Amino acid sequence: MSAGGSDGTADRPADQAAEEEEGPSQAGSAMPSVELPRKRKGEVEERQILNFNLEDDLCRSEEEDQQVKMKCFREPHRQIEKRRRDKMNNLIDELSAMIPACQPMARKLDKLTVLRKAVQHLKALKAGASGAFTDTKHKPSILPQDELRHLLLRAADGFLLVVRCDRAKMLFISESVSKILNFSKLELTGQSLFDFIHPKDIHKVKEQLSSSEMLPQQRLVDASTGVQVQADAHVRPSHLATGARRSFFCRMKHSRVTGKHEDKHSLPGVSKKKETYRYCTLHCIGYMRTWPSSQLDPEADCTDKETSSLNCLVTVCRLHPPVSHQPPKDVNIKATEFVTRCAIDGKFTFVDQQATTVIGYLPQEVLGTSCYEYFHQDDLQHLAGKHRQVLRSKEKVETQCYKFKTKHGSYVMLQSQWFSFTNPWTKEVEFIVSSNKVVSGPGNAKDESEAGSSTLAHEEAKQILEIPGLSTGVGMMIYAGSIGTQIANELGDTYRANSSPSSEASSPFGSVQEKCPLTSRSTSSREEEAGSSSHSQSLADSSKEASGSSEAECRGESSQLDLDVPGLSSFSSDEAAMAVIMSLLDSDVNMGQSGDFEDLHWPF
Amino acid sequence: AISREAARRRRRVESDVFGDLSRLLPLQASVRAHLDKPSIIRLTLSFIRMQALLRGENRQTEINWLEEMYLKILEGFLMVLSTTGDMIFLSDNVSKYMGLSQTELMGHNIFEYTHPCDHEEIRHNLRLTAGWKKCRENNKHKDFVMRIKSALTHRGRVGNLKSTTWKVLHCQGRVKLCVASSSVSCLLLTCRPLPLSHTLLSTHTFTSQHGMDMRFTYCDQRVTSLLGYRPEELLGRSIYDLCHTLDTSCLNKNHLNLCLKSQSVSGQYRMLVRSGGYVWVESHSAVIPGVQPSRSRPNPSQPLCILSVTYVLSGVEEPSLQLSLDQTFPRYPR
Repeated sequence: MSAGGSDGTADRPADQAAEEEEGPSQAGSAMPSVELPRKRKGEVEERQILNFNLEDDLCRSEEEDQQVKMKCFREPHRQIEKRRRDKMNNLIDELSAMIPACQPMARKLDKLTVLRKAVQHLKALKAGASGAFTDTKHKPSILPQDELRHLLLRAADGFLLVVRCDRAKMLFISESVSKILNFSKLELTGQSLFDFIHPKDIHKVKEQLSSSEMLPQQRLVDASTGVQVQADAHVRPSHLATGARRSFFCRMKHSRVTGKHEDKHSLPGVSKKKETYRYCTLHCIGYMRTWPSSQLDPEADCTDKETSSLNCLVTVCRLHPPVSHQPPKDVNIKATEFVTRCAIDGKFTFVDQQATTVIGYLPQEVLGTSCYEYFHQDDLQHLAGKHRQVLRSKEKVETQCYKFKTKHGSYVMLQSQWFSFTNPWTKEVEFIVSSNKVVSGPGNAKDESEAGSSTLAHEEAKQILEIPGLSTGVGMMIYAGSIGTQIANELGDTYRANSSPSSEASSPFGSVQEKCPLTSRSTSSREEEAGSSSHSQSLADSSKEASGSSEAECRGESSQLDLDVPGLSSFSSDEAAMAVIMSLLDSDVNMGQSGDFEDLHWPF
Repeated sequence: AISREAARRRRRVESDVFGDLSRLLPLQASVRAHLDKPSIIRLTLSFIRMQALLRGENRQTEINWLEEMYLKILEGFLMVLSTTGDMIFLSDNVSKYMGLSQTELMGHNIFEYTHPCDHEEIRHNLRLTAGWKKCRENNKHKDFVMRIKSALTHRGRVGNLKSTTWKVLHCQGRVKLCVASSSVSCLLLTCRPLPLSHTLLSTHTFTSQHGMDMRFTYCDQRVTSLLGYRPEELLGRSIYDLCHTLDTSCLNKNHLNLCLKSQSVSGQYRMLVRSGGYVWVESHSAVIPGVQPSRSRPNPSQPLCILSVTYVLSGVEEPSLQLSLDQTFPRYPR
């Protein structure tokens, strides 16, 4: 049938194959009416498959001439022929690949030879096969019955089970049960099904086996409407009769060790305690069927023989595979992201609820604290730089990966995008929005971060900073939070001075930088020392509480013990230690001043 | 004229060989008479491949009367797929499900008969690592849902092949490796349409209806005894709320399958029990039109809803585990 023809006939509910043959002419395609001999339905269907896939296999008809006429009229014959030939050639090639006799040949064999060899091969297979072809009992099919069954059982991972409904006696089980439950067929045949079902599922299975009056709790589902159908007398007979479907899940005993049961004569269910068995979940699909009792159950006692027929449940029980709960590898797990907002000095003013899953702290625990308290010391310099940058830029600033301290003391690797929001009227930066993404990486373990940072510097700092008379814990705290504050200060200065920010802001520090060949870490310490004094008091108060709690939390950390500032630990050199001492002296001096830090200028 | 004669002779010889070949195939006479040449080759290929695949396997010669009914009991058909997707073998009852006979379909490629959107998934399942018997991929149980062309009308008769519909099949199976030649290795699948009709539901199942976003629009009373929630409590809530978070990907897949293929089997996942802990369940779901459709064809603009039958597989596990806020509120006996 041509494409033109198919368009025309697509909507017509043609039931008979005969109609189909007249289709093309009715549709008005320009094909000459073809004299098609009446063939059997199967064959016409074959031809109809052409429409299935116009692109594909166009060579299924017997008479090639007729076929050509029937094809899509728009296509030149040439192409149709070519396609048919190609398809045939492909098939021949596949055939030659499968026939052992054809394989060693160097050059490609011609069609006829391949076919002849195929004939020989089939003859050989026939001769070799044991009785599969001589078995006339079953109708011939490509795959003999036993092989089919074998295939099925492999595919299905299941076994067949026939159970008497009234006594739950297992009348028949297929061999494959031994692979699945580790019990042999012989062990199970004749036993009660309930001995092997998980105790909690017994009720469920009983219900499924019930062939007597329908219990009031039973329900059926009408798939076309999705509504539960009330069990009423009208429905009942079909439910009980042969053919009523069953589908349920149950757990069956599964013997752990094969061969273990060989030395026992008693029923497994009787002697063993429940704990020694494991259960596997099976999906049982099947239906109810009635048979004459004599045929099925030769062991039936007298009472049974009176009833002429037995209701049985015939099912295929398939192993329900255990589910693996790893997300499949081709699923991209979206990295956890959360948003935080902080004031220009780095103190959190808003923390997304999702942050808790990452950092461990609840939002209310971190609000008001400076983000610098959570940054790892290695990252301070770079983050301080970005902080400065974002306050001055209208664009998003992206940080590198840095470590953020979680509630439990370990570090999580984050990467953030910072963006400052400027009040359009006052033209001052009001807050910084940070969108933080968790970066998966090796360095998230607590131990690893500590191991990485347990450099010589730490040890030095530990020794050096045990300054008598000073509680270094509190002292260190000051500097963490104050980094942010200082940066904010700089900004304030900028606004006030209304000049190029970098020159003024950095001048107090620039000279300092020149003076001492400090590492960058010390630079930040300078900032802190310069800026810390006046507001050290207020900071100290808030930091004390924070430090108290975080100290308690971080007690486990070894290298950071003495210097336990959340995020900011120690300084790395002698100069840094000096800076600390200097600042502490300063803070003594300036204690008591009110904390309007924006007015402070540092006349360096 | 001479060349025409020669050509005719050649064709006759060829036809003869084809005839020989077809007679060697174990087919019913009625079927054999109507095979065309490509079909003969296709069937020959199938035959040879199946022989190669099963060579060396223990074959039990005794065929039980019951085992013959295997496919009938299962209500499905068997499909053997090669690594390239050729349907090397189909059991003969495939005509009941697809409307096309075994001999018509065997040897063709599955991608010609399945929905294009499902091809990727099928290909994924066909990925057989040749030769490496212990490869995890090969031992995994395959389980997926696909849409296949069916020439059956809704009344179950073989209809006009041009107006084929999509039939949803649940395919389960595993890989069968051929030791001799890796190209013969294939995927064995049993394919069943997903039935939802008139199956007796046990006390351990409950039905529910959902909007397309998986929020409950209805739930039957049984859920109270199984999970502890009252049906009214569930209305409007999403199923994702009620399940263990680690199973989200499973639910996701189920949801997607429903939206795309209109039927789905969820596999095992955990639903949280109201009083704490969870149970393992499996849901068989389908998309149905919300309102009874008219006979001719369902109106596409009618609201769809999801009908789910959920089987509870296990008892309550870890009853003291609380994974959601619901579970923290104590429930007083009414």
